[in-house]
Amino acid sequence: MFESLRDSFYNALIPDQRYLAYLDGLKITLLISFFAIILGIAIGILVAVVKVTAMNSKMKWLVAICNLYINIIRGTPLMVQLLIIYNLIFTSRNTNELLVGAVCFGINSGAYVAEIIRAGIESIDRGQMEAGRSLGLNYLQTMKLIILPQAVRNILPALGNEFIVLIKETSVAGVIAVTDLTKAAQYVGSRTWDILPPLVIAAACYLVLVMGLTKLLGVLERRLGKGDRH
Amino acid sequence: MIVTKKLKKAFGDHMVLCGIDATIEKGEKVVVIGPSGSGKSTFLRCLNLLETPTDGEIWFEGVNITDKKSDINKIRCKMGMVFQQFNLFPHLSVLENITLAPIQLGLMTKQQAESKAHELLQRIGLTEKADSYPNQLSGGQKQRIAIIRALAMNPDVMLFDEPTSALDPEMVGEVLDLMAQLADEGMTMVVVTHEMRFAKKVATRILFMDEGMIVEENTPEAFFDHPTHPRLQEFLSKIL
Repeated sequence: MFESLRDSFYNALIPDQRYLAYLDGLKITLLISFFAIILGIAIGILVAVVKVTAMNSKMKWLVAICNLYINIIRGTPLMVQLLIIYNLIFTSRNTNELLVGAVCFGINSGAYVAEIIRAGIESIDRGQMEAGRSLGLNYLQTMKLIILPQAVRNILPALGNEFIVLIKETSVAGVIAVTDLTKAAQYVGSRTWDILPPLVIAAACYLVLVMGLTKLLGVLERRLGKGDRH
Repeated sequence: MIVTKKLKKAFGDHMVLCGIDATIEKGEKVVVIGPSGSGKSTFLRCLNLLETPTDGEIWFEGVNITDKKSDINKIRCKMGMVFQQFNLFPHLSVLENITLAPIQLGLMTKQQAESKAHELLQRIGLTEKADSYPNQLSGGQKQRIAIIRALAMNPDVMLFDEPTSALDPEMVGEVLDLMAQLADEGMTMVVVTHEMRFAKKVATRILFMDEGMIVEENTPEAFFDHPTHPRLQEFLSKIL
């Protein structure tokens, strides 16, 4: 029993340097996740700030556009979005699937991040904005230097959640012909006629990734929270 | 220095300021008192446009700041403001709180701002708190830091919005002492407060507001000893 288990994991990893397939897949997963998180944060901050700012001004149509984006992204399945965007762009021959994947996951994540950041901004006392403005800082300076740093500290756990979900969701990237970690595991399985060990190996990789990210977020939380409690 | 002409402010249908004409000269210490809901805080917050007036004009150092073309951020650099709730930035150290605006606005280099901040901290005896965070300070310390944060911009006028109302009683004194010091040095001040002793001692002029109007203005002596308006007489009889 133990022997056969060991053999099947050995087969899933060693012959034909199969471990390289996982490593390549892991690299793709990391790349997509990384750029998607960056893009998601950028979109998220932009949409959240626009929503908070335009809410009290004459440019209510900007809020409407942001809400439309958020509703569409949150209201449709990620895999369908991925397929639609891929097929929209795939009309040209040499598409970079990796780029399409990162952009698609980033656009998707941005909608969720935007709502998280908006909640963070709205949790900050109005007096903070007034104090910043009364010192002569303009709206965007106050937002950047005073409101957002405090907002991010408050929402870090929720943001961490979103990034964890994002890393795991990249496992559907296989549908647009990207060989990410999950897809790599499936390829190995189709070679060895034994799908379970590669999947378990892939699962272990995701687990380690997410645990690493959790650790990183913990460190960040402590550093941002230095004005908090003493 | 500050002139308001028929200043009006409405929140929805509710008129909070019903046409305020006031003039504040350089070097004056004007104390604004009045019952709650009389519009005194709103009046003060209009002066640096934290509230946008519904109607009327505000002139500051010869510039109409209610004019859309005037750069309010530049003007606010010259008007320090102190809030009831201190509004220190909790994520920044005391030193960063003081130096943030002068550095970001390019008014001072980092070294200049920091030496100015240390100078101000020394003056209020809180040098050792430079690297502390606001949550480690007492209310009185927070408010005194908030005052020197505003002073670090070298303002021409200081606006105080009930600066001692959120403080424990034993900390009111230290804040009022600092404000009295500023007054002695010739700072132009507009103070909304409930501290009558401070008004008596420091003010050069007292405005009494009720229902969005200035109903009486006078020197402290006349104000407390010979109030003429019945609303003021009633107010003083309740609090003195």
